[in-house]
Formats: sequence, structure tokens, C-alpha cells
Amino acid sequence: MKPTVSERIFNIAIYIFFVAFCILMLVPVLYVLKKSFDVGSSGELSLSLIPKQFSLFYYRIILNDRGIYRPFLNSAFITVVGTALSIFLESMGAYTLSKRDLPGNKIFIYMIIIPMMFGGGLIPYYLLIKYLGLMNKIAVLIIPACISGWNMLLIRNYYFSIHPSLSESAMIDGAQEFTIFWKIILPLSTPVLAAISLFTAVGYWNTFFSAILFINDPKKYTFPVKLREMIIVQQEMQRQIESMLIQTGEDTIRKSLNTEGISSAMIIISMLPIILIYPYLQKHFAKGIMIGSIKG
Amino acid sequence: MEAVDNLKTAGIQKKKRIFSKRNITLYLMILPVVVWYIIFAYVPMPGIAIAFADFKVSGFKGWVGFDNFKFIFNLKFFWQSFFNTWVFVIYNYIFGFPAPIILALLLNELRHKYFKKFIQTISTLPNFISWVVVSGMWITLLSPSTGYVNYIIKALGGEPVYFLSKASMFPALFTFIRIWKGIGYSSIIYLAAIAGIDPELYESASIDGATRLQQSWHITLPGIKYTVLVIFVLSFTGVLNLFEPIYVLKNPMIESTAEVLDTYIYSMGVVQARYPLATAMGLFKATISLALVLLSNFLSKKLTEDNRSIL
Repeated sequence: MKPTVSERIFNIAIYIFFVAFCILMLVPVLYVLKKSFDVGSSGELSLSLIPKQFSLFYYRIILNDRGIYRPFLNSAFITVVGTALSIFLESMGAYTLSKRDLPGNKIFIYMIIIPMMFGGGLIPYYLLIKYLGLMNKIAVLIIPACISGWNMLLIRNYYFSIHPSLSESAMIDGAQEFTIFWKIILPLSTPVLAAISLFTAVGYWNTFFSAILFINDPKKYTFPVKLREMIIVQQEMQRQIESMLIQTGEDTIRKSLNTEGISSAMIIISMLPIILIYPYLQKHFAKGIMIGSIKG
Repeated sequence: MEAVDNLKTAGIQKKKRIFSKRNITLYLMILPVVVWYIIFAYVPMPGIAIAFADFKVSGFKGWVGFDNFKFIFNLKFFWQSFFNTWVFVIYNYIFGFPAPIILALLLNELRHKYFKKFIQTISTLPNFISWVVVSGMWITLLSPSTGYVNYIIKALGGEPVYFLSKASMFPALFTFIRIWKGIGYSSIIYLAAIAGIDPELYESASIDGATRLQQSWHITLPGIKYTVLVIFVLSFTGVLNLFEPIYVLKNPMIESTAEVLDTYIYSMGVVQARYPLATAMGLFKATISLALVLLSNFLSKKLTEDNRSIL
């Protein structure tokens, strides 16, 4: 069938839209990437996304700053430990949730759903953490974030798709529930667990809110908190430079100082782990969402 | 007959023994989760009582009834942050909610498989970047002197705009950045729903001479109606939670439109340690959230033909 004129216009319009969309999605990232490498065009502007004078100068400044290693390692630590703990507890809990014949099963489900809709609010939670003595401890970044009701319901849904005859035959062979979970169900649910562990890992890597709430010790900062601090400092410096420029009316200071390059490099460094796992992430996450999605 | 009897007695035995060896194993498996929920979700709930008490860092000083509420309801900044929160919520439902649906519908019209995949890949990436990074990026991009956007404005002969210092612009700007971050990710679920529509419907429609636009209006959109409704209802559960994105983007110059309930509660409770006032605000917010969820669930019951409730 030959496409009609209106069909053709429709096609062209869609392609124009998507090219614009691509630019909108990509340019912010590419612009920051360019800024992080570019020492040549400090201050002066250009539309080009290719650095005028390529250099690793800003990265060297950051890597020489001892202050960023601790936050980086802290974030890496809570990501690895938190994700492992989270997946272990959630998959095990979800197994019990998937046993509909278990007395009290409904109670567990309600226990998970109610806090999704109503909670004590920030202050009672804050005071709880204080009374538990978790203030300023790395554990406060791991434990309160390690269970998610959504994730457990998602895993539970996946368990339902595993054919019951598998565990029945194991039961006849005399296997106990935990053995069935560990030896049969867990190995069969790698797709959903991969998806959820990636979500969880990204969540831990991006830990910011609980870190600014509960951590005062710079040694225990997470990477996003450190990054935030640096961006704010850069912004302040930038503002000062700008006001100086307005006062003196000259361009010389701008040429010698380009604080945005440093924060740009910092942004790129913090994105690096996610960019590295992104291809892997891409493969699994769509499947992960669909597994738990409600059939339309 | 004997077999049936055996089954019956087995069933009765199973019912009687709640704490059979098997059940105990299962209870033990969920125990850590239960303990976690009790501590981190249920213990803070009675903490709401602080809203009705005189409570200082030093401890409990007695009940005061609704005095704390009377106090916060007389605060000008409280109502301002309340109003601002609603501006963001309304903007989010007018622009943010339809955006991923439109993207999914348009992606569905793309016939080029690899281009489609490429779009999906780049559009979902920002979802995995933290708000801190996203804000850093847009602050750089929108900077009046060195930002890309202002460069283009200047090149086109306009005056540079101090985007993130203009209070009146912030709600629109914030909504835009939020859509930028979430659009690709949110569209996945709609794409999944679209993939589930029977292809024969399209075939017969195109034989009947329906254009692509008509097809997406009369087939695709009704086909994902239920998914849209589910996402709509679920979206109410966290709609007033705006802390992180607002906190990283706001600055003192735009406080008048950028301060929301969450950031106000934070500065009142955590920064100034006025716990009862902040708790009262939190309770006010939680009540509205709950009412919204129940209302939307009720509406979804009314709107669907078979009275399906989502919760």
C-alpha cells in the first residue's frame, strides 16, 4: 500500500519531534561532559559540544582533593551492603507473602500496604532515629532504607508465576520450606531479583535525604551530599565572580576562573557508576517493571 | 471414599495447627521484615501525638490540645508553602501526568525499531541520576552568564534570563525538569500496555481506512485506559512528597514560590527543632495525602464500568 500524503506528513512530524526530543534529553548531559573537559573556552560561550581545548585539568583537581574519596567509598559501601541485605530480606519475606494458605498472610499484606498511604511524618521518624542512637552512624543510611513494600509485592507476584509443581515435588522428596526457597525459588527468580537489585543499588548510590537528615560528620557523607556541597560552593563563587565582573566591567577575571568546570567534572564522576552499569540495567529494568505491572 | 476422608482429616489437621513446623519456618522467614515494619513504619505513627503536646528537645511537657494547630494555621509562611505545594501538584497533573502517555503513543508510531530503542535508552537514563546531579546540570545549563540556554537567547537577540532566581518562573521550570527526569521511565509501563493490544484491531481499522492518528485515538488510547487509571490512582500516594527535588533546586531568592510543605516541615522541625509544630504540619499533610488516595480510589470505582477499585 502506498502511503498517503497525510500519512507522510504524520511520519515527518513524528521524526522532527523525536529529533528535538533527543536533543532535549541529551544536550544537558553532553554539555556538562564538555564543560568538564574544556579549559580552552572558560567563560566564553559557544554552541559547540566539543571542547575547545581538551584537558583532564578539572578531574585532576578533584582527584587531588582528598575530601572526595571518603564520600565515594561510603556510598560504594552502603550500596553494596545495603543492596545485598535488602534483596535477601525482601526475597525471603516475599516468599512468606506468596503463601496464601498461611494463617495471617492477609495481615502481613496489610502491614505492608498501610504505610504506603499513611505515616507518622518526618518528625516522629527523626526522633525515632535519634532515640535508637542511629544518628551519625553509617547504619542509618542502610537499615531504614532496606525494605520496600513495593519491591516485596513485585517479587511475590513473580513467585506466583513459578509453577507450583516444582516445589510440590521437592516437598514430596522431603524438602523444608526454607530449602525450597533457597534451592528452587531463588535460582528461578533471577530476572526479577536482578531488576530489583539494580533499582535498589541506584537508590543507595543516590542516598541524599537521609544523609543530610542524619549525618553531620563529613567523614560519613555520601557522595551526593559531597557533590551538593561542591555545587553550592561553585555557585557561590560563580555569583561572586559575576558580581565582580559587573562592578569592574572587565572580562579578565572570568578567563582565569571557571568554577563550573570543577562541578561539571564532579557531576560526571558521580554519574560514572550508573553509566557503567546502564547497559546491564537497560536490559533488566523494563522487564522488571512489567513483571510487577498490573495487567491492563 | 477413604481417600476423600483422608484429605478431609488432613485439611482439618492443617487448619488446627497454625504453628506447624512448616508455618513456623515461614513466619521466621518474614520475621526480619515484620520487625523492620514495626520499628520504622509503625512506631513513628503514634508519634503523631507530639502534634498535640508541648514537646521540647528536653522532653515531654504536657498536652496542649489543638494549640499547635492554631499556631501553624496563623503562620503566613505555612499557608504560602501549602499553596506552593498545590501549585506543583496541579502543574504535575496538567503537564507531568500526560507527558509520558504522549511519549508512549508517539513511540508506538515509530516504525524504525533501532531509533525507537535509542530514544527509549536515552530518555530513561535521567531517572537513574540523583536529583542532586540533575539539579547541578540544570543550574549549569540555565546559568545567566555561562549557560547554554542563555547563550541561545542572546544569540537570538534576547536579554539573558536569570531562570533560577525568578520566583515566578520556578513552578514551570521545576515541572519541566521533573518531566525531563521522569518521562522515559514512566512511559515504559504505557508502552507495555500498548504492546498488549491485539494487533488485529489495527489491521481491521486500517482496512476500514482509519488514519494513524485515528487509530491511536480510537484503539491505542482506549486500550491503555485501565493502565492510565491505575497509574493515576497510585500517583496520589506520594504526590505531596517533594522534599529532595525542591531542596536541591531552591535558593533564597525564590523562596516565595519554591518553599513547599516538605521543606517547611524540615526547616521548622529539623533545623529549628520546633518538633510539635513540625509534627502538626506533618499530620496535616498526611491527612490530605490519605484523603487524596481514598478519593481517587473512590473515583476510579465510579469511572470504571465494573466498579473496580484499585486499592
